Amino acid sequence: MTIDTSKQLYFEDVSVGMDLPSLTKGPMTTAHIMRWSATMENWHKIHYDTPFAINHDKLPGVLLNGSFKQQWLAQLLKDWVGLNGWVWKLNYQFRAMNLVGETLTIWGKVTALHKGPGFGVVELDIGIVNQEGKESTPGKASVAVPYKNGTPVPYPFVPPKL
Amino acid sequence: MSVLPEAALKYVGVESEIEIAIDPVERGQVRRHAQAIGDEDPIYWKACDANKRYGGPVAQPFFPIHMFRRAYGTEDPVEANAADPDYDGALKVRGGLPEIEPLTHMPVMNGGSEIEFFRLAKHGETVKLKARYASITEKETSKGTIILVVSETDYLTGDGELLARQRHTRIRRPVKK
Repeated sequence: MTIDTSKQLYFEDVSVGMDLPSLTKGPMTTAHIMRWSATMENWHKIHYDTPFAINHDKLPGVLLNGSFKQQWLAQLLKDWVGLNGWVWKLNYQFRAMNLVGETLTIWGKVTALHKGPGFGVVELDIGIVNQEGKESTPGKASVAVPYKNGTPVPYPFVPPKL
Repeated sequence: MSVLPEAALKYVGVESEIEIAIDPVERGQVRRHAQAIGDEDPIYWKACDANKRYGGPVAQPFFPIHMFRRAYGTEDPVEANAADPDYDGALKVRGGLPEIEPLTHMPVMNGGSEIEFFRLAKHGETVKLKARYASITEKETSKGTIILVVSETDYLTGDGELLARQRHTRIRRPVKK
């Protein structure tokens, strides 16, 4: 996988209602879940022990970790804002379960724009839908984006007063 | 019908000590994280133009919150609970906060977060946290009553620079027998 680091988003190119290029993950397998759980040292059985998940915790099967899904929200936004932007805030809820076999689309849509003194702030709705269009992880985000002919968003990031 | 034990409310406001992650940001752990989530961005694995402004290779934004692992010499919960058929393997305690004893028997699930990012942790850096229980409430849902445990955590570098601030919700769910 290669990352196109030549792309840079500028505040002037963003408009309310704009859809972000979506990110697709899956179809998700038990191997994906196990790899993430091992990386995390997360031994919660609902992520790999099907009989336990179904019979003990009364779940429909082993679940994708919420901690797994949140990574993709950050990835979507990081890749969109580019190197000179900054992913500032995420707020999301795990409202529905995602199971093995699902293909997930991570999406974002611009809802508001704020012009600050050194950079702009873009507010978005974000989420994760499965192949049936069912939303599991609705949320909101704020990202900082540089102006054309401006400077990169300051790093470390200092939140603006909006 | 309430499922929230009164005794659980005593935990609201309880703060952790400052906890230092057992390992610094390890290059190999950053790689495993990157490959597991499917984001092999060069900023995570080599010095390049893209991470110059971060001072070199960095970890993923969420990486610091996953760095708090079991230390050598502490009880191994997997081993300790091997004979318990109800043991679910879940890590019920977050970042130095005590387990909420009255809720111990209830399965736990991740309910979501509000998180702000200020800086990325660099390879080799130490990370520490300070946490508190912010609220414990119950909520009626279409699938029954659940308990929402909200904790607030600051993640900092060893030198005290703020990396991220998280308000995290864990769901405790009574199991129907």
